[in-house]
Amino acid sequence: MAANLMNWLDERLGWRSVWEAIFLRKVPHVNWFYTLGSATLFLAVTQGITGILLTLYYVPDPAHAYDSVVYITTQLPMGWFIRGLHHWGASAMVILTVAHLLRVFFLGAYKYPREITWITGVFLLLIVIGFGFTGYLLPWDQKAYWATTVGTRIIGVAPGIGEWLLRVARGGSELSAVTLARFFGTHVWILPASLLTLLGVHLYLVIRIGISAVPEKDE
Amino acid sequence: MNEQEKKSYLQRYKEAKEKGVPFFPDIIFKDAVVSLIVFLILVALAYFVGAPVEERANPNDTNYTPRPEWYFLFLFQLLKYFPGNLEVIGAMILPGLFVILLLVLPFIDKSPKRHFRNRPFASIAALAVVGGIGVLTVLSVMEAPPPQEAVVVDHAAALYIKNCANCHGENIDVPPSTDLHQVIAAGTHEGMPAWGGDLSTDEIDQLVGFILSPNGSAIYVQQCETCHDQMVQAVGNPLELQRVFREGENYPGHEGVDVPDWNETLTTVERNALLNFLAAPDGQRLFTINCAGCHGQGVAFAGTEEELRTLISQGGHDLAMPAWKGTLSESDLDTLASYVTDPQSEPAGDVLFGQHCAACHGEKVPSAPDKESAIQIISRGGAHMTMPLWGNILTQEQLDALAQYTFEVSRGEGTGLGATLFVEYCTACHGQFGEGGPNPSLAGDIIPPISTSEYLTTREDTTLRNIIAQGQPNFGMSPFGDEHGGPLDSTQLDALVAFIRSWESNPPVDEPPIFQTETPPPTPEVTAPTSEPVPSLTGGQLYTIACASCHGAQGEGGIGPAFNTQEFQDQYDDRALFDIISEDHTATPMVVWGEHLSDEQIQLLVEQVRILGGAIPTEPSTVSFSGQVVPLFQAKCQVCHNSQTALGGWDSTSYEAVTTTGNSANVVIPGDMLNSVLAQRVAGTQGAIMPPSGKMPDAEIQIILDWIAAGAPEN
Repeated sequence: MAANLMNWLDERLGWRSVWEAIFLRKVPHVNWFYTLGSATLFLAVTQGITGILLTLYYVPDPAHAYDSVVYITTQLPMGWFIRGLHHWGASAMVILTVAHLLRVFFLGAYKYPREITWITGVFLLLIVIGFGFTGYLLPWDQKAYWATTVGTRIIGVAPGIGEWLLRVARGGSELSAVTLARFFGTHVWILPASLLTLLGVHLYLVIRIGISAVPEKDE
Repeated sequence: MNEQEKKSYLQRYKEAKEKGVPFFPDIIFKDAVVSLIVFLILVALAYFVGAPVEERANPNDTNYTPRPEWYFLFLFQLLKYFPGNLEVIGAMILPGLFVILLLVLPFIDKSPKRHFRNRPFASIAALAVVGGIGVLTVLSVMEAPPPQEAVVVDHAAALYIKNCANCHGENIDVPPSTDLHQVIAAGTHEGMPAWGGDLSTDEIDQLVGFILSPNGSAIYVQQCETCHDQMVQAVGNPLELQRVFREGENYPGHEGVDVPDWNETLTTVERNALLNFLAAPDGQRLFTINCAGCHGQGVAFAGTEEELRTLISQGGHDLAMPAWKGTLSESDLDTLASYVTDPQSEPAGDVLFGQHCAACHGEKVPSAPDKESAIQIISRGGAHMTMPLWGNILTQEQLDALAQYTFEVSRGEGTGLGATLFVEYCTACHGQFGEGGPNPSLAGDIIPPISTSEYLTTREDTTLRNIIAQGQPNFGMSPFGDEHGGPLDSTQLDALVAFIRSWESNPPVDEPPIFQTETPPPTPEVTAPTSEPVPSLTGGQLYTIACASCHGAQGEGGIGPAFNTQEFQDQYDDRALFDIISEDHTATPMVVWGEHLSDEQIQLLVEQVRILGGAIPTEPSTVSFSGQVVPLFQAKCQVCHNSQTALGGWDSTSYEAVTTTGNSANVVIPGDMLNSVLAQRVAGTQGAIMPPSGKMPDAEIQIILDWIAAGAPEN
């Protein structure tokens, strides 16, 4: 019965070839460092889920952002937990992404034929940092406000276009409701969309080319 | 990497793959293990550490030391080495170059070597970068100022500034026996909103403490807030607070905590301020916390306030109550004890009490928790050995407040509840000070003052209570007792009676003299022509005020004859109508309008009677609700009468709400100016004038009156 169903589905979806290509592909013997990439992927999914849950209650407006975060943390059932996961997940994300990068670097995995995988990986790291930077402002507490004030000011030192860049980042000369809306929009729309796109390419390449083998001493 | 090398790599990789394992389940199992560990760590962090929230962002707080998230700290530190014009190097050029380097790395490093030992330069450089970032991060953490001391914020002061200072200014003078908590929670009726919905009980307590002792609040922040960051965690019980001061670090709650010797670090003044903050000098609450456990709702005391004060401060040790055992027989003792425990159960005790006790206790029977303790107290005399020496426990301010409150309660002047109820239910007709005024439910009737000593001495409490409970249907007063379908229960009735009774010895000071006179002018509403407050009224408005209550809003008749019949209209010509209205009708209750209205006004009434009879078509309403009335509401009413703060239960923000809300009745009754509270209040004919800031210009009042008279259309 089950087999019939599987066959029926396979005739229509071709899932077996997908399954074979992704899950039954042979992989060289690798060590535990090779789990860092998938752990990062797992975290990205966790951040996505907790982040979506947080947006149900978060209000991206200076008048209510802080109160909504306090509400999530103190009143909402399990709100403290979801926010705790998202908060610490952000740091873990940075750590794991960098660790993954170092693993790839030291094992020479960025070399032929995986150059593009590496480049997409570097962009993914930048996106993760972007997530951290934009997400930091959202609670609109003292730390958020002032860290973002100094953070965005750094953009302003760029010669010539610094002033303009600063205005773009803040949506004005000062941190304001526009800044918050801008950071929120970036955090929940622009960055996730970029992340998904690049992650798609990254994973496609990992599966297509295969995960690199641990180099022998003579390699 | 040349073609040869590429080929050889691919070959090697192919072999490695063939010797390898399938992704599922081998690799995925390892991945799952690591992911699970990572997740568990996150759960632990979320559970044990949680996500911090600091104070709300304050753009004006320039003292805050900004720190970026930890993974940006190295960049932050790097900037310090590029001061001034060089900043751009640390901020832009180095990080930019580094990112570019990462991106082009595969194209720079094209050697086929993969093992890190075979490419020492790259490996060492990478280690150096990682190490450098690590060192910079550590330096940044070390150079950082010590973790910000918990920002010293006086929460109570902040609450006050946010919620109270706008109206009350920097501080408020509060009479000692005010139940300030109740006042804040329920609001008063002078435009102060009820805060009970917006502030928590703890916040209101903080506010009370702050209002009564602002210095104490500051001392609390300095001395206590490090540990007791919420005021709730500190006690509000004076006995316990004294113990905290006395015992220092030996106080059970402070064991193992490094607390100073409070008696040394704080001056007496400071200690008192702190005590006043924590247990605010608020008579009613002090009584509830400290006395109610033994004394119930009040105590009986017949002496002066000064004596009571001494008694409270000296406690039970020095009470001069004799030991009644021996003086009284066992059975008398028993009777008295029963009587004291429950006066209803032992009518005979009344006599005994009057003989032996009333001299000191007054007429009010002291309460005892049970018969046994009552017998003990009466037998032993000296009473209340357990009553503490409050003089050693309470601050001067607290003692004053408690003594005054207790004294007033003992005199039946604990009138807070009664006063509130009076404002809520009685002032509409009886005026704020019981001075009376025109009877809104009976045109032409004047309610006499109920606050004069003459009125009160001739009426017993029972009489007052019955009047309130059963109402006076003949005069339009509805029953207020819940037994008669009214809103007040027995306790509330008693409180109301007590409040009214308190006028006897203490007549209201602000009593307007006008209603004190023997013959008050009837129906002040229609004194318009002689005085000026009522704007010139149209015939319709005059009719509504003067005639509608007897003849019906549309002339359909009532106590008086109907106007809208052909018969009536034919019976009298205009001249006759004019005379009827202006002249005396001894046989009927009809008012002699000629004494109150000008000839022009009576002429208007005549025309109005003709309109109602159908002779003259009603002129169509020209007032626009959305165009004229709504802007007035927005400008004058909505501050207090909106969907959130609906003072008096009236919401002026939508047509629906305007016409359907109001505490005692709908504030707007279409077509009925006499009973529309809105008309009464804006015209000043009944109750306190609205808006409280002062009467609106006549033209604006006219708009509202016209609109109501026209049937309050939604146009």
